[in-house]
Amino acid sequence: MRLGARDVAKSYGAVQANSGVTLEVAPAEIHAIVGENGAGKSTLMRLLQGLEQPDAGSIVFNDRPIRLRDPEQALGLGIGMVHQEFMLAPELTLLENFVLGHEPVTAALPLGRRIDWRAARAAGDALAAKTDLAIDWDRRAGTAPVHIQQYTEILRLLQRGMKVLILDEPTAVLAPQQADDLFTLLRQLRDQGTSIVFISHKLREVIALADRVTIMRRGRVVASSRIDETDIDTMTRHIVGETAAAAPPAAHTVEAGEPVLEVSGLSAPALAGSHPVRAVDLRVRAGEIVGMAGIAGNGQDELIQCVVGLRKPSSGAVGLNGRALAGCDNADFRAAGLGYISPDRAHEGLAKAASIEDNVMAASQRAPAFRRGPFRRLGAVRSEAFRRLAQLKVRFGRLSDPVASLSGGNQQRLVFAREIATEPALLVVAQPTRGVDLGGIAAIHAILREFAARGGAVLLVSEELDELIALSDRIVVMAEGGIVGEIADETATPEAIGRLMLQQDTHGEAANG
Amino acid sequence: MMQIAEQVLAASVVLATPILLAAIGGLVNRQGGIVNIALEAKMLAGAFVAVVVSSATGSWLVAVLAAAIVSAAIGYLFSLTITRARANMIIAGLGLNVLVAGFVGFIMNVGFDASGTLRMPDVELLPKLLPGSVAALPLVGEALADLDPLTVFAWLSVAALPFLLANTRLGLRLRAAGNAAHVARAVGLREKSLQDFGTAFAGFYSGLAGAHLALASIGLFNEGLTAGRGFIALAAFYFARNRPVGTALVCLFFGFLDATQIRLQTVGLPPQLIGTLPYAMVILGLCLTAWNLKRKAQA
Amino acid sequence: MAEATTEPAAGRSSLMPALERMAADILRFALPVLFAFFVGAVVLAFIGENPLDTYALMLSEGFGSSRRLAATLSAATPLLFTAVATAICFRSGVFNVGVDGAFVLGGLAAAAAGTLLPVAFGWSIAPLAMVAAMAVAGVWLYVPGLLLARLDVDEVVSTLMLNFIALGLSGFLVNTLLLSETSGNNTTDTIHAVAELSRLMPPSTLHSGFLIGLACVFAYWVWARWTPAGYEAKLVGLNQRFARAVGIAIPASIVLVMAISGIVAGLGGASHALGQVHKFSDGFSAGYGFTGMAVALLARNSAFGIVFGAVLFGALASAGTTIQLFSDVPLDIVNVIEGTVMIFAVMELGRLSLRRGRAS
Repeated sequence: MRLGARDVAKSYGAVQANSGVTLEVAPAEIHAIVGENGAGKSTLMRLLQGLEQPDAGSIVFNDRPIRLRDPEQALGLGIGMVHQEFMLAPELTLLENFVLGHEPVTAALPLGRRIDWRAARAAGDALAAKTDLAIDWDRRAGTAPVHIQQYTEILRLLQRGMKVLILDEPTAVLAPQQADDLFTLLRQLRDQGTSIVFISHKLREVIALADRVTIMRRGRVVASSRIDETDIDTMTRHIVGETAAAAPPAAHTVEAGEPVLEVSGLSAPALAGSHPVRAVDLRVRAGEIVGMAGIAGNGQDELIQCVVGLRKPSSGAVGLNGRALAGCDNADFRAAGLGYISPDRAHEGLAKAASIEDNVMAASQRAPAFRRGPFRRLGAVRSEAFRRLAQLKVRFGRLSDPVASLSGGNQQRLVFAREIATEPALLVVAQPTRGVDLGGIAAIHAILREFAARGGAVLLVSEELDELIALSDRIVVMAEGGIVGEIADETATPEAIGRLMLQQDTHGEAANG
Repeated sequence: MMQIAEQVLAASVVLATPILLAAIGGLVNRQGGIVNIALEAKMLAGAFVAVVVSSATGSWLVAVLAAAIVSAAIGYLFSLTITRARANMIIAGLGLNVLVAGFVGFIMNVGFDASGTLRMPDVELLPKLLPGSVAALPLVGEALADLDPLTVFAWLSVAALPFLLANTRLGLRLRAAGNAAHVARAVGLREKSLQDFGTAFAGFYSGLAGAHLALASIGLFNEGLTAGRGFIALAAFYFARNRPVGTALVCLFFGFLDATQIRLQTVGLPPQLIGTLPYAMVILGLCLTAWNLKRKAQA
Repeated sequence: MAEATTEPAAGRSSLMPALERMAADILRFALPVLFAFFVGAVVLAFIGENPLDTYALMLSEGFGSSRRLAATLSAATPLLFTAVATAICFRSGVFNVGVDGAFVLGGLAAAAAGTLLPVAFGWSIAPLAMVAAMAVAGVWLYVPGLLLARLDVDEVVSTLMLNFIALGLSGFLVNTLLLSETSGNNTTDTIHAVAELSRLMPPSTLHSGFLIGLACVFAYWVWARWTPAGYEAKLVGLNQRFARAVGIAIPASIVLVMAISGIVAGLGGASHALGQVHKFSDGFSAGYGFTGMAVALLARNSAFGIVFGAVLFGALASAGTTIQLFSDVPLDIVNVIEGTVMIFAVMELGRLSLRRGRAS
């Protein structure tokens, strides 16, 4: 075994990110690791790279258990990682980035030894020659096309003699032809003896490229096999879980009513490493929970931001309660009846350094009920804060405690308490149970059901398929920035959704064909 | 007329030197990712040390080196508060300016029983490099006759710096630490130590700048000697966006403004307003850059 | 009610953290001060002075008698304004270092009004001069605020540079348009006697500007705690992404705090011109803007802490000048202490990492 893990466990607070994970990557093997977001892949990679240390179990290198203190040590052993976010200094040229940290040098000059650029360029060209790729070494890294940036980073690692390359979703940013080129390079490297760990969501790619696949789910390895002993359906089943938990059907006392949110032809530019939104039509009616499924980075984040007024769409319309709001800011959306549960609770959903009271009362500071003339009615604010927190049973010490003192589940309840208290017509909810323990999840699901039962409209974006199935009246699936399908509640199974999410995969097809 | 031009050129070059030296330090520091707002403090310390050491040893060279080393040491300690103790670099820099001014005044008061101005015996000034006869050359004669070692060193530094930053290992690593510290760390570099080097380097050059202020012609130390030149240096490399040659030209222009202030006064341009020009230029430059960026982002 | 209240221990157990927080606040104020006094003590010991004797002398010279106390409060007066002007921006995450320039221009505007308005305006000259000062200084800092909010122009550099421009501009005006006909260079005429702020404890220079300063601190407290805009500014300072996602208009908040900062600094300049020096001359601000910054940093932007810090630095300044007379300790020790306070106030001593740190 070149690199692996033996029974490793790692937890962050209450969240068990890895438990009993065993992985074996052989020399000269391309080993794919697949799983949903939050399945524990990234944690495992951080452990393999020495960014963190396991709570239990050990990392294995060349058949011997080792303790990786830091990434530098891993680099020294020959374990290199290509991150999703490339590790290139944007203002430096590609050649400068290529040699950074192991520069070939010649004579001594006042500011240290002189870099031998000829040797550097020759080494770079020799490596690049393997790939039929002409690299313009003098280009600034920040202006180079993404696949060239990726190559530069891979070449840098090869130049340093890496025996193991870990690639985190390397094709997410590549066009099909570029992905093919990358695969050619990776196969060559494997044939020369390099071990490659390949993290991907795209099962066709995995079938096309990998020798072995390990599937993770909820922090555990659920399957590991040679690639020719499995197929896409089997993998999909492992990824989304054998059977959905017996989810109670979404019980509704109110039939879906008037449309509350109407999105038509909405397009928006992409965030870094993601897909732009392409001409999305979407409608959410009163009393209805519409689920949105999709692999992370397929345009959901961008779409949500457009629908809550944090991002300006490049074209298309957003209507909320009959008001046309495309391009307006968050305050306008809120005035029209929006509540918003951010997917990034730690940085956007809460102000961690602020008190519980400030967090639960934000967005209401200008409401007439809490003002007298130009002043805030602090008494009224306090009692409303108590009321909101009590209504959603948030357990807390004092209103003045920092919100960071609450547990993850209580923090999320607090966010709901704030967003529901204004009785919005539409609640846009993203990843509501991320980092929340089991009891908290049930409570949050109950809150959402009750909100819909009172006639509220909910747009629910989640990476947890069980959650979507349990809560949604219908589920739309997003891939590559567009909506690729819709499944009614009755026919929704993880397999059906997973198929839409995972197999809408033109890259893999191109790679195959 | 010719004579006036000669005098102005000579004065511009001399007056540009301390700004240029400090700006060289500051721009290397900033390329390494630290905005050094305490160049002024290190210039002041350098000037003080230069006068004291020159008087004690009678050697301008020892004085200049002592000034540079003391200021580099101050810069290094200052850097530690930023890179290791995570002090905000702006506040810490402003604090250092106050602290050093106080400390220098204190030592002057206690050690030399002087307040405000320190006159020392036997201060050796910077020598002139060329024989006085070069003054006869047209236009540049006077400037050449005034040429001192630090001015030459400053311009040699400007000439060498682009090459050194681009082609040495340390230069590359320093720029990497400034441009993307996490990348430097990912390839196994010690980005904080690199930044500490940058700040010590800035201290070294600011010390030279202070030494030039004190030893170029006046041969004494005064609490107001630096008169905001550390901030003018900051303005210079901000305006030239960290490019060594551009920064040098801006410094020369600032030196020119300084040299012509008195003359321009006679044609109705008040010196106080001319003195604000460097600062106004920076704000204007920042606005234009920002406006361009915004336009590009919208396009 | 909340589950928390059904649990009897909850109330009691949360008392400890509250006390701990208060202790931590006091410690955060005291630590940099103690460090600075320690550095000062080392410096004093180095020259053979007994630091304790010196500090005891400073204490009695700062607070020992009602006259000394008046001198201290008089020295603290400009700091009340500049500290509030700084804190209001720092609290919102806006790095305004241009308070000194706004203070200077405010003083200039007030002195100009105090000399140029006809004497016949009588008692109304002082308030008019203050309004002029607030208008000039408010606009002065409104501009970099606008540049930051609309164009993302780095406010540190722009406000730093504006300080020097303010100095140059005022230096120009007091040598030309506003130059005194009677008292030589670099100064305006003395303002009309009727425009002078009243002295509170003659013969001390303590004047009613001190009360205006206290009123400013109080107004700052009210604004920060009791108005929606103050609450919003705080959230902007704590987390911009959060603030935006709860509908707060961040550009408006930034521009507002910058303008208020200018207005307060300008009022401080007016108070200093009308109450203390009765004219404007070069060197009007003895670094009040920067000392005010040290005060705001020490106080962690709290109103109460600002009063405390301003008095502390006022005492240092007033005691510093007199101990220079009675001992061999030069006034510069005050700068040493102030600079050290500034540096230590922003160092994260708890997380001091001499080894290579992790990415955070």
